[in-house]
Amino acid sequence: MNAVELATILLAWVFGVHIPLVYTVLGVLWTLPALEYASRGDGRYMVAVKGIARYLIAVYAVGGVFGTIITVFLAGMLPVFTNLAGVLLWPVWATAIAFGVAIALPLIGYWYRTLGHMSPGRHAALGFLTAGFTTVIPLMFRLVFAVVNYPAGVEVVNDPSSLVGFDLVVRNYWALFSNPTYPPLILSTLLGAVAFSNALITFVYGYSSSNLEVVSMSRKVALTFGAAAALSGVWYLFELYYYAPTMAWSILGGMPSTIPASLATVFMPTYSLVAPFIAAVILGLVSAVALLTSSRIKSRALNILGLLTSIATVIDVEEVNLLSHLPYAIIPPVSAAEELASQYGVNFALTVAKVLSASTMATTLNALAVFVSADPAVLYFSMAFFALFTVLVLVGIYMALSWRRGS
Amino acid sequence: MSTLEAPLLARWLSGVGIMAHLLLASMFIGTITFAVVAEYRYMRTRDDDWRLLARTFAVIATIFLGVGAAFGTLVEFGLVVLWSNFVTLIGSGLVLPFYFELYAFLMEVVLVPIYVFTWDRFRNGWYHWLIGLVAALGALYSAFNILAVMAAMSMRPPGLEIVELPKSIGQVIQYAAVFTSPSGVLNMFWSGAEIFIFHGILAALILSWSAIVGLTIYSHRRSPKPYKLKALRTMLPALTALIAVEGFVIGHYQGELVVQFDPLKLSAIEGMFWSGFKVDPLLSLLAYGDTTHGFWGYFSWPASIRPPSFLPAFYLGFMVAGGVLLGAWSLGLTLYYYDLHKVKGFGWIKGIERLLVVGGPYALVLLAALASIGGAVTAEVGRQPFVLVKAVPSTTGPPEITGIPVGLGGLYNPTLTLTPWLAALIFAVELLMPALAIYMVYLYLNRRVVE
Repeated sequence: MNAVELATILLAWVFGVHIPLVYTVLGVLWTLPALEYASRGDGRYMVAVKGIARYLIAVYAVGGVFGTIITVFLAGMLPVFTNLAGVLLWPVWATAIAFGVAIALPLIGYWYRTLGHMSPGRHAALGFLTAGFTTVIPLMFRLVFAVVNYPAGVEVVNDPSSLVGFDLVVRNYWALFSNPTYPPLILSTLLGAVAFSNALITFVYGYSSSNLEVVSMSRKVALTFGAAAALSGVWYLFELYYYAPTMAWSILGGMPSTIPASLATVFMPTYSLVAPFIAAVILGLVSAVALLTSSRIKSRALNILGLLTSIATVIDVEEVNLLSHLPYAIIPPVSAAEELASQYGVNFALTVAKVLSASTMATTLNALAVFVSADPAVLYFSMAFFALFTVLVLVGIYMALSWRRGS
Repeated sequence: MSTLEAPLLARWLSGVGIMAHLLLASMFIGTITFAVVAEYRYMRTRDDDWRLLARTFAVIATIFLGVGAAFGTLVEFGLVVLWSNFVTLIGSGLVLPFYFELYAFLMEVVLVPIYVFTWDRFRNGWYHWLIGLVAALGALYSAFNILAVMAAMSMRPPGLEIVELPKSIGQVIQYAAVFTSPSGVLNMFWSGAEIFIFHGILAALILSWSAIVGLTIYSHRRSPKPYKLKALRTMLPALTALIAVEGFVIGHYQGELVVQFDPLKLSAIEGMFWSGFKVDPLLSLLAYGDTTHGFWGYFSWPASIRPPSFLPAFYLGFMVAGGVLLGAWSLGLTLYYYDLHKVKGFGWIKGIERLLVVGGPYALVLLAALASIGGAVTAEVGRQPFVLVKAVPSTTGPPEITGIPVGLGGLYNPTLTLTPWLAALIFAVELLMPALAIYMVYLYLNRRVVE
């Protein structure tokens, strides 16, 4: 097993657990105040609101922990990339953490504690405020994703005194937001989070035939937001086609016309992810059909199918988004490659592309990869351990959901 | 071009953040450990007082875990934002403890909620206790790994070499730390590191149990209850024993490590403010068992690499004196709560009852806090301005102190603009987070009383 494969496996696993959890945190945070406001303190809705809020409290910390695991894997497996990302994008990290920890955490705790002790309108307003602050976290982290798709705002400066021959510089942090892949990415994330959370609410309560008013409302929200998220996904793919051609090539299976034939080998993806992409579309459709039919057919099997396909859709889409970058950690833009080639020569452009590859990032100064290749048992033990704890996370969530005070 | 020191504001931010995280992590370790001990006592005796204590402390532990984990994320991003180039050191050499820490972290974060949500769910209660035990071991293992990294900061592990790159990477990365062989990464847990680690884990337990005992004494004085007395009678002897082991055994070995591996830190913390090589009979006796050994004085090294001269106040004043007083107070309270003042020959305890018991809550908390702060400052400020410190013997003068500088060109983020208002905001968060945890515990305990 080489360093890139190791990094890929570990990051794919941790993203596969982290993203569904934080999607539900985000989606639930926007859904609950809406539900609370719509119900105006109606007891039938409030039972569900309190149950879902308990889930939120249990999952926020677990989701956060998996975020920390991502950081450790990035630092351990791609140290140079993480180091440079820390230096270049520090305001982005700082803003995310300031909102994620300093503001959102106490607000979520306060919101949970005041549930049922404040007028529904005021409490819903507090909920929306909390959701707004929490949303800054994905707004920032998705900006990092957008930068690795297409490094808008990041300049490559020729520097013979640098070991790699160039420096990466961000002169204006606001320029990062001009990234064309960012709006559809963040939009599909936010819409998808609300759709996913409401789909889960529909299927979980549908399975137990409880909180039927909430089920009906959540189903409509899941379908509406799911459709909007799918449209945003199409927009995202469209932007990738023009600005992150390696990803588009990997996902669609053919070389985008935006890549000059002479640069085909530079932008060729490592994996063809056509099958996982089609699978994601099918899973999403099955999930939508399950949502639609569950209003008429009362079937536990249908709810389980809907639940599993919803989770699988989110994981699949996220993995496709992550893996389609390969072989790059940061995909060099076609326009930049051409400009660098004309300004400094083809060799310099190729050097930049090579340095930005995941292979260079993962094999440079990577003690863990060296250690694991010398002793692969460490990795096998890790995979077994992580699998066990993924199951235990689900058990923990189930326990939290089924917990009753005083029991 | 590198500078040795980072801006003072950045060092203060990290210092306060690490202290606050240390407090939260210590409280989690202490409370989850006590919950498991209490549940064990319940399983053995079926005394409901122990069950109440175990459940209460399990919830308190969850609060500290939740806020502590969030704060850990803050510290972690602080590392990436302030000391960006430390990330390269992690990847190039120090990764293994961080990697193992993930297992520990998962054990804590997944099992602690399961522990809290599964009271009375198992027909055989020992299964539930086992979940708590593994969660507590996860907490201790987490501390083990993070302390291994902190140990490496002060004492470079065997086989770890600092590589100064011929050219920087992108004007950012100048240094890497690389083990000479693939299995060298295991040296992160070498014997010297293990002493540092156990010193730190015991310190965490002492800090948290001192706080718990102090608050329990205070609460017991206001409204005496049998379960509070039982808690005190369990924790006080254990606390006294821990302080004794920390001071007399592990503290001694830790001191020997400093003598052996970092003579500059030794001179700074012991207040050896002279130039050149000089015999110090008392320190020689403590370190070598005779009075003939000499030591290099603080002024033997250039001013640019000397740690601050205020360190004796933290080491001798806060850590050593605070620790000794804490041990004495804890011993006195142990004797008192075991009613030894009623036994012939121990009547003098009655004479100092008021001092012991009324002053106890304040003294235990204050002394434990001072000793912990003293220890942490001694370890972390004493190695300034370097990380991965190693003393290289010299034939012409004092040992050469080598390491990676924490300033620009070393660890510090070259693109960071740390304005005072931003720093003030971060300071506020660093102080408010532990306050939030304490407030949540207060709310929980108040609600329990009402229920």
